[in-house]
Amino acid sequence: MTTATIKDHTTLTGPASDGRLDAESRAATPHTARVEVGVDVAVLVSGLFKRYADGTEANRGIDLEVRRGEVVSILGPNGAGKTTFLRQLTTELRPTAGRIEIFGEDAVAHPQRVKRMMGITPQEAGLFERLTVREHLEFFARFKSLSKRDARNAAREVIAELGLVAETDRPVGALSGGQRRRILIGLALLGHPPLLVLDEPTTGLDPSSRRAVWEVIRRAVAKGSTVILSTHYMEEAERLSDRVGVIVAGRMIAFGALEELLSRLDRSYRLSYRDPLDPLGDLVVRRFVSFAEAQRHVARESLSEYSISRASLEDVYFSLTGEQFDGDTGGVST
Amino acid sequence: MKRATDIATVFRIQLAGMRREVGPFLLAALVFPSAMYLFAVAVGGAEVAHEQNRLRYLAGSVVFSLSLTSISWLGYLLLENRFTGRLKLFATLPLAPSSYVLGVLVFALAQSALGTTTLLLVGRALGVQMRPNFALLVVVIVLTILCLSGLGVVVAARARSFSEGSLLTDTLGAGLIFLAPVYYAPEMMPHAMSVFARLLPTSFAARAVEVALAGGHDIGVELLALGLMATVTLALGFRLMRWREN
Repeated sequence: MTTATIKDHTTLTGPASDGRLDAESRAATPHTARVEVGVDVAVLVSGLFKRYADGTEANRGIDLEVRRGEVVSILGPNGAGKTTFLRQLTTELRPTAGRIEIFGEDAVAHPQRVKRMMGITPQEAGLFERLTVREHLEFFARFKSLSKRDARNAAREVIAELGLVAETDRPVGALSGGQRRRILIGLALLGHPPLLVLDEPTTGLDPSSRRAVWEVIRRAVAKGSTVILSTHYMEEAERLSDRVGVIVAGRMIAFGALEELLSRLDRSYRLSYRDPLDPLGDLVVRRFVSFAEAQRHVARESLSEYSISRASLEDVYFSLTGEQFDGDTGGVST
Repeated sequence: MKRATDIATVFRIQLAGMRREVGPFLLAALVFPSAMYLFAVAVGGAEVAHEQNRLRYLAGSVVFSLSLTSISWLGYLLLENRFTGRLKLFATLPLAPSSYVLGVLVFALAQSALGTTTLLLVGRALGVQMRPNFALLVVVIVLTILCLSGLGVVVAARARSFSEGSLLTDTLGAGLIFLAPVYYAPEMMPHAMSVFARLLPTSFAARAVEVALAGGHDIGVELLALGLMATVTLALGFRLMRWREN
């Protein structure tokens, strides 16, 4: 039995039992069991290294294992190597070194075979301005080996799922950016591929469209898909993911379930308030080991308006990447 | 089976796009070449009385149409697909790059069939005497299209920007006509230039179309040259058109 460990970080464990996965998936991925490689693995990445022609090392030894039915979010600052990582997963980019297996198939050696198992939404891709929404989906369904009738049905189903029924016969050139983005996601969903790789799927969408896309992703997972997505939205990663990976400077510096990542924070309570002496000033953020400690600080400073919350993925992210919120005092505890 | 479906689907996508861009296509495939025919007849003066010249002008216009549709127009479509991110969309699919290129080539062939047929009808209406050897004409047209489309694919695959590629395809599409002895006899060119011009694919194509329109069949050399050029340009185009980057 092989146990998989992401570098020197969190040992792989099962997804949080928060009801996000269906019963079958949960049964297949017990909460704390270590993974037996090859049995239940959707994506296996080991020693992935990517050096571009100009010498830039965008990925420097990434290991990752994603189980069937999981939703894994990849976070990281701009330029950290997230998109490079996903482009190698989707076979668009050839790795300099390392191995990628999709459902046991070597993605580097057999890109066409693994693409049959994937639905992919690239970060930036163009649509055909003069083709209608329906035409896009029907044509692209045909590429996924669906018969004409199945392609028509799949297009209808995806259009309904994405809330684009009113736009069915409109040319894509007449649609908003958010609607186009939804079409790109729809193209990935066609044919119910077992793996969805979505590069920043909700970037540029308004809050309501974003939630609609989350629902679409959840439904795909409920139907058995595994999802790997990159995002800059912490809320998105928190709400959708079973596990989260953080890439910084080409390395996966953390990977695990949300609770595991949160447990890595020394001070997991966050107190936010405005300085009573400067009520118009920036929000002050301080972190504490315990709720009681945060309350003591409130009493000591005689704060009347404040909020105390458990740390979130955002706190973990900023802690890991070394970035800071505006007004964050840097985790100072009194 | 999957390959055939993929090629047909790429063709249908291009066709659906063209349905809504029929104006520019008609300009490239029909209006400009027809205008060039009339222009050549007008400036040809007394020579026009010679039926052979009329046939040469018509053959030249057919090749002009093929050049504009396969290099300029098709190259533009490929460049647009590449630089607007559509190629990236195709690359996400279980679709071989060769199927994509073949689908586009089938589209080019369909366009050229439409353009050539219409031009021949225009020629007939304008009184050009011809006894086309249709079987041979089809072979010539197919080889010409493959050869010129190969050039379009190479330019579209290698261009560093949309504007650079667009300029190149436009220049090649028209330039290969005006540099070749298509609308005039090769003897009218400076010697050094005529040697170069005779080697252009459009020169071979124009002579082959002219002979085929006259009902002749002595174009073995032209067919061989076009076949070789088509093989080279397409092989290069297929090689350069990749989904996967290093």
